[in-house]
Amino acid sequence: MLEAIRKLYKNTLFRLSLLGAFLFVGSLFIAMGYVYFATIQSELRRVDKALVAEFSEFQTIFEEKGLQGVDREVILRSASSEGWYILIAGNIVAGNLAFQKVETQDGTESLIPVESEEDFQKIQFTYSNPETTDPDFQDRRARGLAGPLKTEEGNAGLLLVARDVEATMRTGARVRTAILTSSAIAVILGLISSWFVSRRFTRRVEAFNKLADDVRAGNLDRRVPRTYSEDEMDMLAEHLNAMLDHIDRLMKAMRYAGDSVAHDLRTPLTRLRTRLESAAVELGDTEEAKTLFAAAGDAGELLQTFDSVLRIARLEAGERRELLTDIDPKPILDDLAELYEPACEDSGLTFTSDIISGIKIVADRGLLSQAVSNLIENAIKYTPAGGSIHLSLSKNTARRAVISIADNGPGIPQSDRERVKERFVRLDKSRTLPGSGLGLTLVEAVADLHRADFNMSEGIGKTPERPGLNASLIFPRRRNMRTKT
Amino acid sequence: MRILVVEDDEVAAEYVRKGLMEAGHVVDLAPDGDLGLEMARAADYDALILDRMLPKRDGLEVLGELREDGDATPVLILSALGEVDHKVEGLRAGGDDYLAKPYSFTELLARVEAIGRRSDPSAAVTKLKVGDLEMDLLARTVRRAGQKVLLQPREFRLLECLMRNAGRVVTRTMLLEKVWDYHFDPQTNVIDVHISRLRGKIDKDFDEPLLHTVRGAGYRLQV
Repeated sequence: MLEAIRKLYKNTLFRLSLLGAFLFVGSLFIAMGYVYFATIQSELRRVDKALVAEFSEFQTIFEEKGLQGVDREVILRSASSEGWYILIAGNIVAGNLAFQKVETQDGTESLIPVESEEDFQKIQFTYSNPETTDPDFQDRRARGLAGPLKTEEGNAGLLLVARDVEATMRTGARVRTAILTSSAIAVILGLISSWFVSRRFTRRVEAFNKLADDVRAGNLDRRVPRTYSEDEMDMLAEHLNAMLDHIDRLMKAMRYAGDSVAHDLRTPLTRLRTRLESAAVELGDTEEAKTLFAAAGDAGELLQTFDSVLRIARLEAGERRELLTDIDPKPILDDLAELYEPACEDSGLTFTSDIISGIKIVADRGLLSQAVSNLIENAIKYTPAGGSIHLSLSKNTARRAVISIADNGPGIPQSDRERVKERFVRLDKSRTLPGSGLGLTLVEAVADLHRADFNMSEGIGKTPERPGLNASLIFPRRRNMRTKT
Repeated sequence: MRILVVEDDEVAAEYVRKGLMEAGHVVDLAPDGDLGLEMARAADYDALILDRMLPKRDGLEVLGELREDGDATPVLILSALGEVDHKVEGLRAGGDDYLAKPYSFTELLARVEAIGRRSDPSAAVTKLKVGDLEMDLLARTVRRAGQKVLLQPREFRLLECLMRNAGRVVTRTMLLEKVWDYHFDPQTNVIDVHISRLRGKIDKDFDEPLLHTVRGAGYRLQV
């Protein structure tokens, strides 16, 4: 689960769309915040303004009609208006708030400022009607102004004017909850849509990744499926496909050019060799004849190299795949063992084999013989005298047939094992030995044609200086082979 | 032997002709399929060297026509299409041997002489003899100067191939094809090793060697 989340978070599009979702939610939050302040807060400001106006009205009444006028006005307004009032002046106490149970909201003990101020001050409080338990009359919020009624000699009394703002405050709370809830919903929806969009996108990207892998594996004829929606991904697919078409054409042209060079050079080379040979035969048993035979031999080697190049090209083109049949590799390997055993002995090598019977693979006898022969010859060539070579046929844990040739020669460093499969690649150590650098390329081509894996690992050397090489061909199970072809 | 070479590459044909003549054969040349078929029908040749790709009439077609006529002249097919499947196709069409271009002349010579001899009625023999070396094909035994020589099955086939071509050069490639049925050339000297083992068994204790190495070509069994 955690892993899945981490993987999802690694997805670029998921992160992008998530960012988009959060930006959207943020903007929404700001917009709704504006609505909140524009309605609720301005309503409260309107109330405050009205309170200031009323308080100064009372101040005017006090200046014109004195304390009795204010008292009368407070009693009048307490009975008729929706406001709340208290007047305390000497022994006069008037106003409707006196019958309510009042609690201050900011924690101060009294509603009326103890220190009589120069001017009035804002107060907030809740009031409850002690005569009823109706929740509508409990803890209602109010805002008000409290301040002295000023004369020239000083304060004549204290006046409090307040308005009920419970309805506004409740609306405010509802709006705040609505804002938070809708933001949360937007976040969740954003997450879901990000996941959805990224999954859809990922699927299309996967197609590209798979294509890249396939192309790297040598299937240059693979293309990305188009949706023809002409969106960015589709255009990318179109361009990629066009690029692959072009590369494919170039590769084919290049291979064709190389192959035709090899092909066209064969005729003059054959003539050259024939001329050298017939000249050598004419000279009889002389030193010159030896030189000519050697030259003819060189021409022959060149021809063999060209032949190998052409053969590999044909194998890579998959020309002979239809020739593959169900065969038992045992007799083929027995024959090869028999062919090479004496040669090994002459080179001072111990040749052993362990070939189990009853295995069937889909293969071509000639090609398989050639591939295994190349591997055995490499082992003979590179393993110093006194070493050993082991040829085996077995089944691995995945029940696939494995042909392996292991030696205890110098081996091939891990970093070079892929490179030596390329055309004409020869490691520095082997440059002094005869060879064309095509042997393993051919093995790889044969393996590919058989859909087998050609792997190289450490052999049976068991010492760090001479780890040896274990070259193995791992064939697919026959059922898999058939469904693929 | 009288040999007809049907080959459109003039230079190659001329070299083949020259080489075969030097080896003591009589050679006629035909530059295309039509002429080749005409000449093959008109005269009695000991062997035909037939290029597969010919102007006017394809080599396999010429071969097919000849075989339809009941002409059993041994035919060596030459071709630039060196793959085994083409080889099989050529042999199935009635060819006696198949040589892929590029070939070495010694290889061509050895093969033509080998198939030229095959039409010999003595091909169905049960005993082969070269000097004091005798092979009984039925009993699978080999004797040299009356002494029994013990051979492995593969050594027996190797010797048989050499004895059937006694006096003529047998190339390493021919041995690989005929004794092991491999159609590729190994880089190492595998054949030489097998030959030297065989030599150790048939020549070792005798003054006169029978198995000779022919430089640049192959081996020859000869008194």
